[in-house]
Amino acid sequence: MSAHASSSHTRRRPTFALLHLRPSTSGVDQHSLKALAILLLLTQLPHVLHLPLWVSVIGVALIGARVISSQRPHLAWLDLLLSSVVLTSFAVLVAILIRLHFGYFVGRDPAVAFLFILVAAKFAELRRGSDATLLMCLASFLLLTQYFYSQTILAALVTLPAVLALGHALAVVRDPENAASLKSNIKLVGVMLLQGAPLAILLFVVFPRLSGPLWSLPEDGVAQSGLSDSMRPGSIGELSQSSEVAFRVEFDDAPPPYRQRYWRGPVFEQFDGYAWSERRTATRVKPSTARSDVIDYTVMLQPHRQQWMFALETPTRLPVGSDAPDASQKPLATLLSNGQLIADEPVNQVIRYRQSSSLSDSLIARERPGDHTLQVVSNNPQAIALGEQLARQHSTPEAIANALMQRFSQAPFRYTLKPALLGDAPVDEFLFGTRQGFCEHYASAFAVVMRAAGIPARIVTGYLGGEMNGDYMIVRQSDAHAWTELWIEGAWKRYDPTSAIAPSRVESGLGSALGADEPVPSLARLGGGWLTTMHLHWDGMNHAWQRLVVDFDNDSQAELWERLGLRTPEPWQITALVLAASAFWMSALLGLPGIKRLHRFKAERELPPAERAWRKLERLLARQGLVRATGESPRDWLARVAVQRPDIAPIVQRLADEFNVQRFARAGDANGVEMLRADVSTLGKQLRKQ
Amino acid sequence: MWIAPKLRQRLFRSRPDDQLPLTIEHQRIYILPTARGCAFIAALLLMLVASVNYALSLGYALCFLLTGLFTATLLHTYRNLSGIRLVSIESRPNFAGSDVVFDITLDESRGSDRHSVDIKRSGAVEHRATSTVLKIDGDNASSTPLTVTTHQRGHLTLGRLTVSSTWPLGLWRSWSYLHCAASAIVWPAPEPDAPPLPTAPSVGGAGAQQRTDEGDVAGLRDWLPGDAPSRIAWKRAARSGDLHVLLVEAATQPALATLDLAQTRLGSLEAQLSRLTAWVLQAEQQNADYTLQLPESTTGKQGEHAQRQRSLDALALYGLRPL
Repeated sequence: MSAHASSSHTRRRPTFALLHLRPSTSGVDQHSLKALAILLLLTQLPHVLHLPLWVSVIGVALIGARVISSQRPHLAWLDLLLSSVVLTSFAVLVAILIRLHFGYFVGRDPAVAFLFILVAAKFAELRRGSDATLLMCLASFLLLTQYFYSQTILAALVTLPAVLALGHALAVVRDPENAASLKSNIKLVGVMLLQGAPLAILLFVVFPRLSGPLWSLPEDGVAQSGLSDSMRPGSIGELSQSSEVAFRVEFDDAPPPYRQRYWRGPVFEQFDGYAWSERRTATRVKPSTARSDVIDYTVMLQPHRQQWMFALETPTRLPVGSDAPDASQKPLATLLSNGQLIADEPVNQVIRYRQSSSLSDSLIARERPGDHTLQVVSNNPQAIALGEQLARQHSTPEAIANALMQRFSQAPFRYTLKPALLGDAPVDEFLFGTRQGFCEHYASAFAVVMRAAGIPARIVTGYLGGEMNGDYMIVRQSDAHAWTELWIEGAWKRYDPTSAIAPSRVESGLGSALGADEPVPSLARLGGGWLTTMHLHWDGMNHAWQRLVVDFDNDSQAELWERLGLRTPEPWQITALVLAASAFWMSALLGLPGIKRLHRFKAERELPPAERAWRKLERLLARQGLVRATGESPRDWLARVAVQRPDIAPIVQRLADEFNVQRFARAGDANGVEMLRADVSTLGKQLRKQ
Repeated sequence: MWIAPKLRQRLFRSRPDDQLPLTIEHQRIYILPTARGCAFIAALLLMLVASVNYALSLGYALCFLLTGLFTATLLHTYRNLSGIRLVSIESRPNFAGSDVVFDITLDESRGSDRHSVDIKRSGAVEHRATSTVLKIDGDNASSTPLTVTTHQRGHLTLGRLTVSSTWPLGLWRSWSYLHCAASAIVWPAPEPDAPPLPTAPSVGGAGAQQRTDEGDVAGLRDWLPGDAPSRIAWKRAARSGDLHVLLVEAATQPALATLDLAQTRLGSLEAQLSRLTAWVLQAEQQNADYTLQLPESTTGKQGEHAQRQRSLDALALYGLRPL
């Protein structure tokens, strides 16, 4: 027991006295400051990964400066630096710098960067208790904004210490002078988080999700790795060095063999002598249906901020939302005549769609391709000459194409991620000079030579391969690939020059096709040992996480209700459910009378009826303040009651007799018990009336 | 707004009907978010809107996790107050203008520690409401002094107590009104620089001897409120830290003084009582025999401090209706 006044005197710390000397900068005590600093640093931590370095450095430095200034009061220049005027002008300056850095200000990323600085600056000039409140609210919001960038398991785990620190900060700021230790506060907050968890989980599951955003800010031009809308020598090679996941696939049946895992992406028909790009003249077409060996699968596409979607060659239907029962749902994309799937809007978040494909290497075209598919630019004269020469030597397009494939496989061509740099005539230099390149070099050269030989040709980019991990397939950026299509007899036929130079790339993947000194991501190499195994386990967890938590949306909710055999509830029904559940949850935690009564009720049903009636009588009289004293016999007690309460004396005396009879004479006599119970309830009514 | 008196009593405990010992049960606990709690709700709403707009599943998760925390603190704040028992209220009388102290003893009936329980006196507007913060251990009762500055003599009712707590996170405040009929007696303020104690005209023998402060020091006694600072044994106080008053033995046996209202030769009743108070204190200091005669009562010598207490109480309550 300690009355507070005395304990706070004895516990006053030296720092506290020091604060009194400097009222100008420290209206907030050391304990609060420390707790808030811990909270803010933990909140800032995940943001350091995506923010520009200078923003992170400034944010952390501001917090450090304030902590140092509070511990070393003699640093006058630091106090000056942390004055409101200086900090406000500093915040304005940072806002301008952020505008310059991002090129715009009203957008998600600059806003997060500015909030990051703002929170740190607010901490640096913290004055009052209400400032601390604002700071904690801002910190909670900043904590949320990290999910704009990452919603992995790791991101979730990183949040937990920050949430504990938030609880600690709240507890300390409430009463800084008597602050409990960090350890005991964290224990307390941890217990409360666990107690709150059932409610949180329920809310997470039933809170209605919207299908679209309420508003959207100008699109943020964050560079996301993935295929781009043009291809120059080296672009696929760069992408191949990333082990990031491009998408994951769940097959309804067995996955296709490796050599048929061609995931079709952007198609390039325009060549300027150096780079390939899209030609936006393709028309919308309907997918050709009713083919043999169609395989069905579900793709979980990571956001890449472009519009294309991926499907195995050749798609036989348009992609629809994964949880839709049939093709009846509105498709998420359209199919262009060049075989590309184009989503209705840029893929800015993970989408999950159903797709079907027929595994084939030719795409039936409805119309003859335009002349642009024959265009070559004169900066590669040797390649053009080679094409013309091949056209003279062979009669059919297949023969011409095979001749070039042959040439690739025989000459000292090398498949490498580190080719020599190419100059103004990249195709010529590659074909007759360096002779080393990655898939895009071969595809590009192949298409140019074919065009020169009079065969319409184009480049297809996408992914080749994919690795099974348990019941699903991971396709990584390192599987990025480029190949060629030739127009032969009314169909675009796939020719993959890489299969000539590095057959194992097509058969089993990048890792086996490249030498040990190549910068291949370790995950792309097969048989990478325990590291690879661990990575695969980790990806499996991430995949489950993605599916169960991150992708939990209105479709998943609908599916859940359906699985429970319920219709999707109305908002008021959800509200009622949440309220009822919280009421139950609270009484469970508190052990309110309701629950206690329930327990008592259950226990009492086991007792003989006379004993039950006796207990009820005891309760009734106890409510009137007539409690049986310890050691007082039931008979004496009831006699005392009769004396103290003459108004109920007759019935009490009768009850005393009846109980006596029950207890000693005719135990179990059904009539007697019935009378007893009737009398007890009569007494209850009588007492209630008063 | 008209509220049925019964309901008003139940809601606000405006009448001092509560009996000690009194356990704070759920019927009389209120709980609402604090300003910080409201700010926290606003932040949660903002987070929810951001999660909705950007379809951030983990945003929802964080938001709901904090909602769960917020709700759990409600229970803890409630439980911190529920089951506290107000055991006793003792008052220490004092002179008007000084502080009256109510010693409020709390314990608790659930066997769990209570933290940062705040007791505030409300109701009486003219007095400064004082609050005090205490911690109750599961095992012991905790007594806390609640100080009230007084201005006039008479009964000082404690009024309604507000027992509240924002523990653990300061997001919720739970409070309960307790209204017991506790009061303290406030003695009249002794008149400063009052004339010396009058000698009795009839009683006390011939030639009323002048009393003087000079004399031999007869002994020491504990300091009581109202003793003149000049009589405090300061040297001793400096050594021991406790205040003692020098007892001066008058040269002769003190005369028996009879004190009544008329003797003060003052107009207003309060001034008269004030002077009588001063005289009672003087008489006590000088160890003189005296009798206080008020129209309703006469307080004669019966025991040591008892007379002082009874005299002062009579002066405090003179002319007032009993509670």
